[in-house]
Amino acid sequence: MTVIASGKGEFLPPDPDGFRAYVRDHKERRLVNKVITAQEAVSRYVSDGDYVAYDQNIAVRGPASLFREIIRQRKRDLWLAAKFTWTDVSLLVAGGCVSRVDVGWMESGPVINRAVKEGRLKLIEWSNGALAYRLLAGSLGVPYLPMRYLGGTDTFEQSGAKLTEDPYTGRRVCLVPALYPDVALVHVHQCDVHGNARVFGAGVSPLEMAMCSKKVIISTEEIIEPEEIRRQPQRTTIPYYFVDAVVHAPFGSYPGSTPGLYGADLEHWLEFAAAQVQNKTDEYLEKWVHSMASHEEMLEKRVGEQKLAMMRQSETVREGYYE
Amino acid sequence: MSEPAVGKAEGTLSFTDIEATICHIAHIIEEDKLYFVQMAGAPLFALLLAKRLRAPGVGYVVEEGAVAPNPIFPLPRMMLGASRSHYRAVAWTSMNMVDAHAALGFMDYGLLAALQIDQFGNFNSTFIGGTYDHPERRFGGPGGANEIASQCWRTLIMTKQQKRKFVHKLDFMSSPGYLDGTPGARERVGLPSGTGPYRVITEDAMFGFDDETRQMRLIGLAPWATLEGVLAEMEFEPLIADKLERMKAPSEEELNIIRAEIDPGGFSTSRGKWMTVDAATGLRAG
Repeated sequence: MTVIASGKGEFLPPDPDGFRAYVRDHKERRLVNKVITAQEAVSRYVSDGDYVAYDQNIAVRGPASLFREIIRQRKRDLWLAAKFTWTDVSLLVAGGCVSRVDVGWMESGPVINRAVKEGRLKLIEWSNGALAYRLLAGSLGVPYLPMRYLGGTDTFEQSGAKLTEDPYTGRRVCLVPALYPDVALVHVHQCDVHGNARVFGAGVSPLEMAMCSKKVIISTEEIIEPEEIRRQPQRTTIPYYFVDAVVHAPFGSYPGSTPGLYGADLEHWLEFAAAQVQNKTDEYLEKWVHSMASHEEMLEKRVGEQKLAMMRQSETVREGYYE
Repeated sequence: MSEPAVGKAEGTLSFTDIEATICHIAHIIEEDKLYFVQMAGAPLFALLLAKRLRAPGVGYVVEEGAVAPNPIFPLPRMMLGASRSHYRAVAWTSMNMVDAHAALGFMDYGLLAALQIDQFGNFNSTFIGGTYDHPERRFGGPGGANEIASQCWRTLIMTKQQKRKFVHKLDFMSSPGYLDGTPGARERVGLPSGTGPYRVITEDAMFGFDDETRQMRLIGLAPWATLEGVLAEMEFEPLIADKLERMKAPSEEELNIIRAEIDPGGFSTSRGKWMTVDAATGLRAG
C-alpha cells in the first residue's frame, strides 16, 4: 500500500496482539461480583500515564464522579480522548491530571488556554468522529480502518492519520490507527454486579470503548439483579466480560444530567465557569473534590437533598428510557 | 414568553445577528431532505425553527446518535443530549452509526458553524492568532464538523459578516471546503466525490460557490444589507451573482419561537450585535 501523506501528530501505537495478550492474561471470564467503591476502582485501575477514554461528557451521562475521584487521587500524566467532551477536560487539566489530549471537541476556556501556553498540555488534533472511529477499529481487533474524511486539512496534518492509495479501488483513502485505551470510564443507567450494563438513549460510543479498553470501570445509577438482565437481554449495552469494576454512583453524572432520571445543575457550571475566569479553580477543586472523601459525601454536604430533588423533578421525560 | 419581539418603536423588530442568521437558514431548509447538524447551538436552532414552523417532517441526525427526533419545546437551556432534545426519535444510536449514515450518502446537508472561512469554503474552528504550537486563543476543535463537511453531499456553513471571519488565509483549516479549489481536490485526499460546501450564511448575506472555480459567490442580501457593506466586511472579494436575491427579514413569529421555545432565556441567541428594522420593509429603522 502506498502512503501518500502522513499526519505528524503523536498517537498511541495500535497493538492488537498486545491487547489480545492482555485480555488473555487479565480479563475475568467468570460471572463474579465486580462491585467496588470509586476509590478502589480508580486506585486499582487508573495509573499515572494511562490513556483514558470516557463516554459522553460532564453535561450528559458523563462519569463525573470518577473524574472527581481521579482528581482526588492526584493521578498524573493522563492522555485523554476528548471526543464530544465539554468542561470535563478543563476540570481534569485544572486538577493537574492531564498532559496530552486527543482533541475532537472540548470546552476551551482559560484553563486549557493557560495550560497550552505554559507548555503543560500537548494537544493532538482529530475530530469527534475520528476518535469514535478509532475506538471502533480497536473494538474490531484490527490495527487501523480506512475512512472518508480528515484528508486535506490542517487537522489531518496535526493528527496521526495517513493518506494512502486503496489497494482495492486504486482511489485515495485516509487511514486512522485503532485506539486501544488503557482505561475506559462509562456511566450507565443500570448494571448488574457482574458488569452487564445498560445505557438508555443515544450513546456516542460506550460499547466500542468498553470492548477495546484494557481496564473498564462502569459507574451506574442503579444496580439491578442479574435475572433482570437475562429477562431483557436486548437492553444490555455492554456484556460483563469487558468490565473490570462496577461502581454504584447515583447522581454519578452530577452536575450533568442522566436522561430519563435527572436534569443538570446549571448553577454548578456557572460556578466552575467563574472559577476558570477568575483563576480560582484550585478553590473550586478544594470545595468540590479534595475536601470531600467521596462522591456520596459531596452529594450530602455540598449538593444537598433539596438540589437533588430539584434535579429529579426537572427531568420530565421517562419515555424511551424507562418506559 | 420571555420578551416581546416587537421593538419599542411601533412596527419595528429588533433581533441579534445570530437570530437573523438562524432565520435565513431556516428559510432554506427543505422538508424532503436529511440533515446532519453539528451539536447544540445556532445550527440546530435554525433547523428546529424550520421544523417547528413549516417543515415538521424534516429529518435530521446529531453526532451523539439521535435519529430524526421530534424535540419537546421549550428546549432546556442545556439542550445537548437532553431527553427533550432527543424526544421521540425514530432511533437512538451512536456516533459511529450516524457518521456511517453520512459516509453512505444518506445525508443531503450538513449544517455547521465556523470561526473563520476562506474563499473556497474551508473553515477553522481550532485556534485564532499565533501558530499551532503557540496559539493566541485556542478553541474547541472541529468536533464533528470535519466528518460532516467531508461526507454530506452539501454543507451549509454559518458565520458572522465580519472581516476577521472571511479571511484570505485561515489560521488553521479544521474542516474542508473545496481545499485549493482545483478540480478533484477533495477526491485526491480521499473525500467522497461530488461533495462540498453549498451555502455560507451570515446575518447580512448568503453565498454559494462557482461550479468551475469553486470560489465563493455572493448570491443574496438581507433587506437591510448593502453590497458595499458586505464587501467591506470581507478580507477577500467574492464573486458576485448577476442578480442578487433579496432575502426575507426575520418575522415576529420566528423571533418569538426562537426566544420562547428554542432558546428560552436567550442563552445563545441574545448575545451579539442587535439591530432594529422596519417590520414591513426589513430596512433599518432608527
